[in-house]
Amino acid sequence: MKRVLRDNGLSLAFGMLFLATLVGQAFAGHADFNDRQLAQGGEQVTLVDFVTSSAFGVDVAENWQSEYLQFFLYIFGTVWLVQRGSPESKNPDEVGLESDRAQRTGRFAGPESPRWAATGDWRTAVFSRSLGLVMGGIFLLSWAVMSVAGWAAHNAEQLGQRQDAVSWLTYVGSADFWNRTLQNWQSELLAIGSMAVFAVFLRQRGSPESKPVGDPHTTTADTG
Amino acid sequence: MRSARVVLVGYLVLVVAGLAYFAALGVLHR
Repeated sequence: MKRVLRDNGLSLAFGMLFLATLVGQAFAGHADFNDRQLAQGGEQVTLVDFVTSSAFGVDVAENWQSEYLQFFLYIFGTVWLVQRGSPESKNPDEVGLESDRAQRTGRFAGPESPRWAATGDWRTAVFSRSLGLVMGGIFLLSWAVMSVAGWAAHNAEQLGQRQDAVSWLTYVGSADFWNRTLQNWQSELLAIGSMAVFAVFLRQRGSPESKPVGDPHTTTADTG
Repeated sequence: MRSARVVLVGYLVLVVAGLAYFAALGVLHR
């Protein structure tokens, strides 16, 4: 048991922190929602009402979509774009999908390679893109869910202000949808760009996200 | 690696269940 916890510390710790902060968001979001209801002369809702409302759904989904977009873009972008000197980047002469030998696919797969890396057919093609496909797929799903929950929340607000409800299509062209979307995207893109270049000149001893402390600033693609 | 597979499945279930739940909230309250 102790070994399982240590071997999976990163994913388990972040998973637990995620659940704790989601609960925190539910409480804070509930209080904020009721404050606004009070200001607008609306009815107060219970915590259960709030966590089963589209207002809570859209707030969670809008952040999920942008985080998965961030990782998808980072995974995909680092195949084709490099940052000389960054541990987050590969070497400038390795841009692109690289050779089968370098990637140990098809006939270059070893005895311990995943089965789908060795087949050399469509399975290798799919497995070679599986990380990006799953992260990109979750991004698209989260964004779609955000649009549906946001649509319902937007219409609830419209009705509360005695205004007409709008169609889903109208909602995805609305200022509310794009404001929610872009306010999250901008922060993710800023964080990715700054991480790529900060790590050229700054170090975090012991972190695989950083180069070893004594590495020259010119060294690319080294982690430690 | 078996424990990592369990954690992977846990994350996937969490994300898919979460998305299904939030989509349902949107559809039910539309």
